[in-house]
Amino acid sequence: MTTPQSAPPPLVRPTGEPAIIADDLGVRYDLRFTRKTTIRRSLGQLLGRGGSDQFWALRHVPLRLMHGESLAVIGPNGAGKSTLLQVLAGIIRPSEGSVDVRGHVSGLLTLGAGFDKELTGRDNILLGGAFLGLEDAVTRDLLPSIIEYAELGEFIDAPLKTYSSGMRARLGFAIATSINPDILLLDEVLATGDASFRAKSKARVIEIVQAAKAVVLVTHDMSWVTQYCNRAILIERGLLIMEGEPSAVVALHLEHTEQERARKLQAAEAAGVDPRIVRMR
Amino acid sequence: MREVLPFRPMSAPSEVPAAYRNTAGDPGAIRLIREGITDIRSRRRLVRYLVAADMRKRGADTLLGNFWWVLDPLLQMAVYVVLVTLIARGRGIEDYPLFIFAAILPWKWFTASVTDATSAVASQDRLIKQIQFPKIVLPVAATTAGVVGFAFGLIPLAGLMLFHIERLTPFIVLIPLIAAVQFVFTLAVALLVSAGNVFFRDLRNVAGHVLRLWFYLSPGLYSLSVLDEVRVFREYPVLRTVIESNPFAILFESYRRVIYGTLDGPPTWPDFSQLFLLAAGSMAFLAVAIVVFKRLEPNFAKVL
Repeated sequence: MTTPQSAPPPLVRPTGEPAIIADDLGVRYDLRFTRKTTIRRSLGQLLGRGGSDQFWALRHVPLRLMHGESLAVIGPNGAGKSTLLQVLAGIIRPSEGSVDVRGHVSGLLTLGAGFDKELTGRDNILLGGAFLGLEDAVTRDLLPSIIEYAELGEFIDAPLKTYSSGMRARLGFAIATSINPDILLLDEVLATGDASFRAKSKARVIEIVQAAKAVVLVTHDMSWVTQYCNRAILIERGLLIMEGEPSAVVALHLEHTEQERARKLQAAEAAGVDPRIVRMR
Repeated sequence: MREVLPFRPMSAPSEVPAAYRNTAGDPGAIRLIREGITDIRSRRRLVRYLVAADMRKRGADTLLGNFWWVLDPLLQMAVYVVLVTLIARGRGIEDYPLFIFAAILPWKWFTASVTDATSAVASQDRLIKQIQFPKIVLPVAATTAGVVGFAFGLIPLAGLMLFHIERLTPFIVLIPLIAAVQFVFTLAVALLVSAGNVFFRDLRNVAGHVLRLWFYLSPGLYSLSVLDEVRVFREYPVLRTVIESNPFAILFESYRRVIYGTLDGPPTWPDFSQLFLLAAGSMAFLAVAIVVFKRLEPNFAKVL
C-alpha cells in the first residue's frame, strides 16, 4: 500500500547547520493533575495510593534537525507526536533530557485558538499578533492583507460572535499563516473552509513550508510525508521506532497499522463481536 | 482577491527569543524571579492589549457602557449604607457614605482582579497548548485591568467629595502611593490564584467566599475601634492583632485617613510605619508568588 510515487525532490535542502538538537527527550505526565482536578480528588489520591499515576508520553527520543531539512513525524494516535511538537515549541518543558532550538520557532495555530468572541475581527488580529510576539508595526502592516486574504470585508469591525464558522476559520488561518518562522512546526496540515478556500489555504501552507528554514510536520497524510519531507521518524507509544527515508518509514508504519488492525479484528472475533462495527484507528 | 500574503520573516521584529534551550529540572528561585520580570517587560504590549480588550468587552453590550465603571461602586456603597443603617441603627459614624466608600473602592479593585485572575490562565487553555508565551502576562493583565477600574472609581469619589467639601485636603494626593502598595499585594495574590486554579478548578468557588469573609473581617464597613465592643476580641487579644495586621486593615485605614480622616478628625497622614511594613512584606510575597508561578508554569500545557 506504499505510495508508488517516485520521490520528488524535498522542498528544502540541508545546509548543515543544526536547527533543533534534542537529546534523550522524555515527557512525563502526572495523571494526578489531569484535566479539571478538584481538591477533593487529589487529596484522596495524595492520601491513598500515590506515585503510580505517571505516564511517559515520550521517552528516550533523540532528534536532530538541520537547517534546510523537512522532517515528518508519523505514528498512530496517542503515540506522542503532538507532545513532541509541544516540547520543540517550548510549550512543554522536557521531564528528561534537553532540547536546543536555534531560530524562531512557530506552529500554525489551530484555527482561532486565541479568539475572543466579544472582540471585533480587527482587535482579534492585533491581540493574536501580540500573543505571537510580533511587534505592533508589523501587525498593523499585515492587517490589510490579512483582512483581504480572509475575505471578511465589512465584517472585520463586527464582533467575532457574529461571524459564520467559515469566516472564523478563514480569519484564524490568515492570522496563523501571516508570519514565517525559521522553524515551522506543523501539526496536521490545515486546509479549511469551502472548496475554493481549501485550495487557497493548501497552496499557502506549501508556500510557508518552502520558505521555512526547517520544518517538522506531524501528519496522518502519507502523501505529504513522501512528497514534502526528506526524512521521517516513526513514533509509537512514546518511543522512537525508526528514522530514515520517508518511503521506508511510511512502509513500516503502514505495516504496523495493518498488524494492529488484524490483531484487533482477531480480538473482536474472539470476543464474539461483529468485526464490522469495531472502529479502526 | 489577493492569493498570496506578503511574507514577513519573523526574525527581526519579534519579542520572542531567537533561540532557547530547555532541559529537565527546575532553575533556582533567583533565576525564576529574573525570568518573570523579563517576561513581563518584554511583553508589555501584550499586557496592554489584554487590558484594552478587557475594557472594550466590559463596555460592549450594555446600555450604559463604560459608565458602569462609575456607577458600580456608587451602587455598592448605597447597598451597604442601607444595610448598615438598618442593622446597626443609631451607631452613627459621621458622613458614613464617604467613610465606607474609601474602603469599597480599593476593595472592588482587589476582588475584580483576584476574580479575573482566577480564570485568567485556565480560560486560555487552547492558546497555552499551542503557542509558547509567558503565561505570567495573563494575571498581570487581570490585575492591571483592576487598576483602570479603580482609576474610574476616583470619578464618583470626586463627586462624593463635593458633598463633603470640608473633608477635602491635600492628603488626598497620597492615594496613588497607597494604591501602589496595594498593587504589589494584589499582583502577588493574582499570580497565586491564577496558577492554583489550573490545578484545582474549585479554587474559583472557594475564592468568592474567602473574599467576602476577608472583607467583613477587615475594617471596611466599621472602624477598628468597634472591635473593642465585641467580647471575643476583648477576651482574645491575639484575634484582634490578626485582624489589625491583615493587609486590608492597613490599606483601608490608610485610604480612609487620607480621604475621610479619622473618626474625630480631618484627613491626615497615613501610618507610614505600617504602610512601609506592608510594602516590604508585599514585595517579598510577590517574589515568592513569581517563583511559585514560574515553577508551575511548565505544567500548565500538560494539565489544561
